Amino acid sequence: MPYILNTENDRQAMLRAIDIESAEKLFSFIPASIKAKEYLLDKGCSEFSALQKIKAQAAKNTTVNEKKSFLGAGWYDHYVPAAVFDIISKPQFLTAYTPYQPECSQGILQAIYEYQTYMCLLTGMDVSNASLFDGASALAESVLMGLRIAKKNKVLVLKGINPQYENVLSTYLGGTTYIIEEVKTIESAISKLDDETACFVFQTPDFFGVINEPDEVISECKKYGIITVNVVNPVSLGILKTPGERDVDIACGEGQPLGAGLNYGGPGFGFMTANIKYVRQMPGRIVGKTLDLDGKTAYCLTLQTREQHIRREKATSNICSNQSLNAITAGVYLALMGSDGLSNVANICYDRAHYLYNRLGEIKDVRFSVKGEFLNEFVWNVKDAFDVLACMSDKGVYAGYLLGNDYPDMKDSVLTCCTEKNSKADIDFFVNKLKEVLDGV
Amino acid sequence: MGCKVIFDITMREKKNSYLPEFSCGYALPEKFKRKELCLPELGELDVIRHYNKLSNKNFSVDTHFYPLGSCTMKYNPKINDYIAGLENFSALHPLQPIDDVQGILEVLYTFQELLCSLTGMSAFTFQPSSGAQGELTGMLIARKFHELNGRRPSKVIVPDTAHGTNPASAAMAGFDTVIVKSNDNGLVDINSLKDIMDESVAAIMLTNPNTLGLFEKDILKIRELADKAGALMYYDGANFNALMGVTTPRMMGFDIIHLNLHKSFSTPHGCGGPGAGVVGVTEKLKDFLPVPIVVKDSGRYRLNYDMKKSVGKLRAFYGNISVLLRAYTYILRLGGDGVKRVSENAVLNANYIKEKLKDDFKAPYDDICMHEVVFSCINQKEKGITALDIAKRLIDRDIHPPTMYFPLLVKEALMVEPTETESKETLDYFIDIMRKINSEVETNPSIIKNAPVTMPVKRVDEVRAVRDMDFRWHKDGD
Repeated sequence: MPYILNTENDRQAMLRAIDIESAEKLFSFIPASIKAKEYLLDKGCSEFSALQKIKAQAAKNTTVNEKKSFLGAGWYDHYVPAAVFDIISKPQFLTAYTPYQPECSQGILQAIYEYQTYMCLLTGMDVSNASLFDGASALAESVLMGLRIAKKNKVLVLKGINPQYENVLSTYLGGTTYIIEEVKTIESAISKLDDETACFVFQTPDFFGVINEPDEVISECKKYGIITVNVVNPVSLGILKTPGERDVDIACGEGQPLGAGLNYGGPGFGFMTANIKYVRQMPGRIVGKTLDLDGKTAYCLTLQTREQHIRREKATSNICSNQSLNAITAGVYLALMGSDGLSNVANICYDRAHYLYNRLGEIKDVRFSVKGEFLNEFVWNVKDAFDVLACMSDKGVYAGYLLGNDYPDMKDSVLTCCTEKNSKADIDFFVNKLKEVLDGV
Repeated sequence: MGCKVIFDITMREKKNSYLPEFSCGYALPEKFKRKELCLPELGELDVIRHYNKLSNKNFSVDTHFYPLGSCTMKYNPKINDYIAGLENFSALHPLQPIDDVQGILEVLYTFQELLCSLTGMSAFTFQPSSGAQGELTGMLIARKFHELNGRRPSKVIVPDTAHGTNPASAAMAGFDTVIVKSNDNGLVDINSLKDIMDESVAAIMLTNPNTLGLFEKDILKIRELADKAGALMYYDGANFNALMGVTTPRMMGFDIIHLNLHKSFSTPHGCGGPGAGVVGVTEKLKDFLPVPIVVKDSGRYRLNYDMKKSVGKLRAFYGNISVLLRAYTYILRLGGDGVKRVSENAVLNANYIKEKLKDDFKAPYDDICMHEVVFSCINQKEKGITALDIAKRLIDRDIHPPTMYFPLLVKEALMVEPTETESKETLDYFIDIMRKINSEVETNPSIIKNAPVTMPVKRVDEVRAVRDMDFRWHKDGD
């Protein structure tokens, strides 16, 4: 029997000790009418057989490494140094649980404390929690936090939030009476701010890649006591202006670009940083530094009276387990990259994306409907984009994400991303193949 | 030895060698740039040594017995990690064309079918990243189901033994929670339940076996009461590992369930995630699941977004895929015979511990327990030794402490979950140590009070942490 150490002799000895004749008898108080009469699944198999079976399934996938991939749209294919995998595979990180007992979890706690510091330095904010599930639920939790702080009813969202995040936000607020309203421009955002508004939410770079700076809205929000929530890509903060410099109240986003790899969309992790004055309204675990009885530096989970295991229905959130290992991964990634490495990643993404943008500009059937400076992603337009993308895939290029999936009025718009993994040669290949497709070759 | 914070390690030269040179001549205009980013510049060996030092300061399943009740710290088979790491799974972008990801969709579809067989449910979503997020999903489904039936029940019932996440999740979904008391046997008190079960109740959330490690024998009566009131039954599957292959949540009468794949299905806990809290529902609730779900049309797999009653999405994309792959591998390995043996052995191990320790530590519910056993240290408390003290003393004996002070119903609780993967030898060691600690209560209480002394730090001042509010490193002088 896989993974069970006890022999039949051990089991018999244990049964004798508890004075019961068979293991079956341990379940005798379960009504017979609700007992399974037979095995519910096929019989198990050897490790080798399982491996063969699953490898055969894996072989039916085509990976991003087999084509030239320019897919992003909220999930990014950055290079992850080999040392990251080595560290986060260590059993003392991989197979431990939440550090409830600080004395035998100091390593985990310090690693999370360092992660929290890294996220504060990156975002320019005061305090970070120990992670949330993903970028989308981190936004939902940030808005709920804003609603708790402002004690008002309306959430104003500036267009350009990742559409999946917007969907998750409305799911999370589905059981409440809060109102979410979307505004298309900075001007209309300003005109909609009022005494009923609890939160103003924006993303930068936005879903279309544009670096938008709604500075006027943020300063207007201060007048009304409106909580500002800034969704950001952490890698962009290698070079771009930070939420802290913008003086927002809460920053959040998806941590996947920091060393998590692709894994078909999960796991990454959600991060949240905030102004220190709101720390008691933050959801999730937080690690604090303290002392032990001898006065030595020590770490532990802290401010737990915010949390579900103590406050139950009055907790700041229901979150218990988060995505700790991925948060620690981000810490390791940032430790290896340093300032220089992270800003290089962002600079290279910028460089490559602008090269591609300019090369696409040479093609007469390509237009650019979305204006504004961008970092690693941009929107371009081409007639029959759906078919063009399919042809590009056949020619070995994942040319981008079709925005028509989310926006009915953008059916000919493609969102394309470059990372440091896309070489100049890959980009030239992309452009040549697109010319072939558009020429009907 | 203390370990320097990574920000205090000596800085190396700025020379990052992980990335290709950039080549195309474009640079971000100054006006968009941030103020200087100050992360430490370290060499790879600095980083490796640092994290190796940190890793050595932790207990984990691979290194220590870890009977943390309710958390199911069983062995995490290595083949699962290996499979999750295969490039043909790990190097997939979630927005690739469907034809290029048929393999992973086949895995998800097959996994869904296996979970349906094992639980009696009709469909699953893989989106929730944890049990708590599964609960929120379930409560939102319950809300929408009632609404589309023209009802707006406002309450959710949870037992006084429930995990804290249950009332917190119900509250997030906009429900008021109502507590149902336990009876003297540690089970839901049916008469109390009758008093509060009416048409204002949307759902009852139950863990079975409950957090006292006891099987809710009256589960079918509870089902009847819920049916009469038109309430749904929600199964918190945190303890499903006690019942796999023995019965199913469907047979017990549940409509919506979550399973913690990081508990019952052996995926590693990773210091507190990522896990997966997949949610299953019966036929009548299928259309309410989050979008998308994996479907199969004439031999081809795809993602179905066309579900008008769906509660929406709980996360971007589809789920914690590498966690799902591990659990899928585990189920294929074990099969129908294997999962049943898992539950039998988990329950046997817990009962063995209970039998051997019940003379030393009070077992408030002296019935056969399921996969975990809750002791109360009230007798020790009278002599000045608390459950916390005993937990800390266990650390000195190389054992990760059980869950403390939960469920709230039991005073000075220690909740022990040995899991099926531990040997009799290990259990005997634990039993022996627990007995020795109990005798130390009389003979050497100070050794318990001062524990632990073998760790990098002594007892940690948690009150001070709240007062100091030091959540991040600062540069000297900042």
